[in-house]
Amino acid sequence: MRYLLYFLQKQYIYFLFLALEAISLLLLFNYNDYQNSALAGISNGIAGSVLNLSSNVSEYFSLRRVNRILAEDNARLHSNRSEAFYKADTGSFYQHDTLYKLEYRYISAKVINNSTDKRNNFLMLNKGHRQGIENHMGVIMGDRIIGQVVSVSDHFCWVMSLLNKDSRISGKFKKNNQLVNIEWGGGDYRLGEVKEIPKHVVIHKGDTIITSGNSDIFPEGLLIGTIDKFTIAQEENFNYATITFATDFNSLSFVEVLIDMMRQEKENLKKSFK
Amino acid sequence: MTILFLKNTGRFIFLILFQVLILNNIQYSGYINPYFYIYFILLLPFETPRWLLLISAFLLGISMDVFTNTLGLNAAACVLMAFVRPFVISAISTGTEFMAGHSPSLKNQGVKWFAYYSIILVLVHHSALFYLEIFRFTEFFQTLLRVLLSSAFTLLLVFIAEYLSYPRGK
Repeated sequence: MRYLLYFLQKQYIYFLFLALEAISLLLLFNYNDYQNSALAGISNGIAGSVLNLSSNVSEYFSLRRVNRILAEDNARLHSNRSEAFYKADTGSFYQHDTLYKLEYRYISAKVINNSTDKRNNFLMLNKGHRQGIENHMGVIMGDRIIGQVVSVSDHFCWVMSLLNKDSRISGKFKKNNQLVNIEWGGGDYRLGEVKEIPKHVVIHKGDTIITSGNSDIFPEGLLIGTIDKFTIAQEENFNYATITFATDFNSLSFVEVLIDMMRQEKENLKKSFK
Repeated sequence: MTILFLKNTGRFIFLILFQVLILNNIQYSGYINPYFYIYFILLLPFETPRWLLLISAFLLGISMDVFTNTLGLNAAACVLMAFVRPFVISAISTGTEFMAGHSPSLKNQGVKWFAYYSIILVLVHHSALFYLEIFRFTEFFQTLLRVLLSSAFTLLLVFIAEYLSYPRGK
């Protein structure tokens, strides 16, 4: 026993090293548990306020571009107002609540931290629990897809963008509804990978890929990207293609979080089926 | 002693902020991410006890992780780097370089010594960091390229910082 203690005392530095490494790796691999823990809220709060400050400064540099986008949005919305239409038959513009039930609500949020150069990229947004944001909500910009919420604190949330090892989006060809999965292989943030395209699907350069609506996160029809290059496999059963993302992940400033009003209902249905 | 402590604490905070607010926003072709904040570990004084070396590296890494949402990743790489630091120093030193109360520096230890010292440690840190981040070997060479390019960039910053803190005229 005495020798054991002596041994421990003499070699304590190795044990300290192993202990610290163990803690680090444990934290790293229990990542998903961590995200729901109280610790996440606290550290997100601190990091959030620093990053928020930095974003407040850098926001000024993109004002010109943001203004342009807002002006364009305004123009688009104005042209959608009922005043912009000639009422040929008042009955044809009649909308009834039982026919159109609100399914998605959009919350605008500012990107206060973003990266595109890591293998796993995340964005931080300045909206959180208080604004009604929950885990697994989709994040979009206009009609383009960005990612999904993975961690929420009171005023901030982390979003896993498409540019992530764990990101896997269910999409489809716009022209013939063939389902495919979209991933990101690292490197260039503008290019994604489409694996497992069935062999009978004819691919052309420029084919549009949109979300399939099969996942609970994104509705159908959001733009993901267009086919850039493709290879026809000789031996395997699936073809492979790279796509150019519709979203420019390097220039995000304002995005929208999708709140699915019927999510609870969908989840309950799933549960009752099991 | 207190001055040494304050100096290092200040450097700790400055390097974290510099990394988070400036360097993490530099993005070039997805391959180059300099991690200059580890300059803190390079500059800890020679006679720092090894336990303190490990603990402060852990704190440095974990603070970095809080900002990048990669809890444990930077911490693991930093602790590994702090662990090998004494071995590297004893391996490349001939015994005459040390001065009590001093940090390793380009001026005191010479270009050759400092180059060996920083290149080895930066490579250790960056390899651990990038391979842990990917955690698969399918992208082995792509990751290796990232390690080498980013290390080169970090080292460039380290040497610039060394030359800035010890002007040649002195």
